[in-house]
Amino acid sequence: MGRRSKVWLAALLLLAGVAAWYGFRSDARRTLGPPAGGEAEEHAGRCITVVEPGGRIVDKMARALVPGDEVITADGRHYRVREVRGDTAVAQLLGMDARLLAWDQELVTGGIPVQAAGRTPEVAVYHTHSSESYVPSDGSAFIPFNGGIYRVGEVLTNALRTRGVGVNHDRTPHDPHDDNAYVRSRKTAVRLLKGNPVAMLDVHRDGIPDADFYRQRVSGQEVSQVRIVVGRQNPRRDANLDFARRMMAYANRLHPGIVKGILLASGDYNQDLLPTALLLEVGTHTSTREEAERGVALFAGAIPYVLGVGPAPAERPGQPEWFRPVTDPGARQAGVWRALALLILVGLAAGASFLVVSAGGLRQARERFRDLLRVEFGEFFRSPRPRRPDRRE
Amino acid sequence: MTRFPLGLVLLVLLSLLVYLGVLHRVLDRLRLNDRAALAVLVAMIVGSFIDLPLPVAGVTATVNVGGGLIPLGLAGYLIWRAGTPLERWRGILAGVATALVGYAVGSLLNRGLVEPGGRFQWLDALYVYPLAAGAVAYLVGRSRRAACVGAVLGVILFDVFYLVWLKLSGVRGVVAIGGAGALDAVVLSAVLAVILAEVVGETRERLAGGPALAGRPRKLLQHLRRPEVRREEGYRDGTPQ
Repeated sequence: MGRRSKVWLAALLLLAGVAAWYGFRSDARRTLGPPAGGEAEEHAGRCITVVEPGGRIVDKMARALVPGDEVITADGRHYRVREVRGDTAVAQLLGMDARLLAWDQELVTGGIPVQAAGRTPEVAVYHTHSSESYVPSDGSAFIPFNGGIYRVGEVLTNALRTRGVGVNHDRTPHDPHDDNAYVRSRKTAVRLLKGNPVAMLDVHRDGIPDADFYRQRVSGQEVSQVRIVVGRQNPRRDANLDFARRMMAYANRLHPGIVKGILLASGDYNQDLLPTALLLEVGTHTSTREEAERGVALFAGAIPYVLGVGPAPAERPGQPEWFRPVTDPGARQAGVWRALALLILVGLAAGASFLVVSAGGLRQARERFRDLLRVEFGEFFRSPRPRRPDRRE
Repeated sequence: MTRFPLGLVLLVLLSLLVYLGVLHRVLDRLRLNDRAALAVLVAMIVGSFIDLPLPVAGVTATVNVGGGLIPLGLAGYLIWRAGTPLERWRGILAGVATALVGYAVGSLLNRGLVEPGGRFQWLDALYVYPLAAGAVAYLVGRSRRAACVGAVLGVILFDVFYLVWLKLSGVRGVVAIGGAGALDAVVLSAVLAVILAEVVGETRERLAGGPALAGRPRKLLQHLRRPEVRREEGYRDGTPQ
């Protein structure tokens, strides 16, 4: 490395360091104020409207959508976003979501079977965006480190506990309200995972300006609806989506209209950690917190059954295996088996490609594979095994 | 997990096995032999359950052994064992650049009312770090070790920046460096960055007809496995003649 390059590199690092320092200092001063667009954006909100090619509105959300994102509405229509133009996302109708409708149909003809689990099961609840709040009740859309969303989480916790489900409600703050919050909340999620939860719920709220879009009269109460979000960039997507479908089908049967829909959005949202991990959005920042609390309490009523936990009324004899709780060993796990098959296929494909690339061709890859079989399995019963050379790079 | 049915249990186990298997292969390619790679892997898993408190007033700060200290030690080892001073600088540069890119994309660009934390989000923040580390490592010399060092240092630096940010903000926050252990962004980023450097770098190298040898320092060439390369450079079995 030449002297000149070293000087350049050192200057570059110094510059980057100074820029980072100033960035953090000014960022830190902004901490206790509203993020990004300031007061104006805080109250105005942002709204991405999902429309059919003909212009019919499918959904609204304050979320960065990209082509490929999917929406399953409460009535079972399945859409895929084709293009995003400014604040409008054009989505193509893929048809009715057969799996959701099948769940729904089973609920019409079947009863409400609940299966008790052996030990007191536990649901983990946490908040990645811990500053999220409700303007009419909390006075601001963001209360740093202690948002109104904690109160919504508490109501969910209490509603589950009264139904015999243990809850580990984690109140670790992950401020500020940014994308990196998911990297920070991953540590919380893994800590919660050590408690062996049957499900993990990350509770949020939306940010569209129109509270009426979420406001609904459900089971005689004025509530904010709940949206379920599943991450598309997540190896357990199918399993999480299967759980989300069950939740929406049952919750909407129990309290029609309580779940607004399922959104499959770009992201992982730490759902790779558990097949029964979901992100919930309860109302929007312009909803009152009380509406959100009533909404989440109704939603909580559906959780024990779908998970197969909580007190157990008599199980309906002859209950089809299709419609058993997610934790029932006899339950059909289509999403899970698909995810498993996909994992194996992707693993094999990646391994094969890696072998071909690193060996330098198909023929060499075949030879290397044969060698591997000979060394690893052919001499399996011989002892001692020949010493393999170190693989130093 | 015992309460889950077979399908879910298998899914969890298989994904863990795949992850750990890939992690082992990645460690195997970082100046570690099979046994050392396995030892580091086991230490990482065991260390995932150990959090050490950091004495920082006003902030609850911890560092996880498996997700913070061991990857940091590995990065330090790779920097120490770097073949040339240039390689050493590459790793450090990749680390600083990764932290800056992660901060710029995940905290400056993607913040605000729009979920999941910004209007430009099309890739989870978890994947921004390995992409940045892999890209920087590729740009500065297609080095998988620089990619690993860059990813580890980048994410840990970001956690340290967060600690500084909390101190400057004067609020009582929580920082857990590498807190998710073997599943933390630190380890995940290192794995993905090395795979990225490996796949992209190796593919390009194969397409170009193998590694370029002319003008390369002897220290780098002696680690190449192909015997003809060693012969050309006057080495036999990796030792100078």
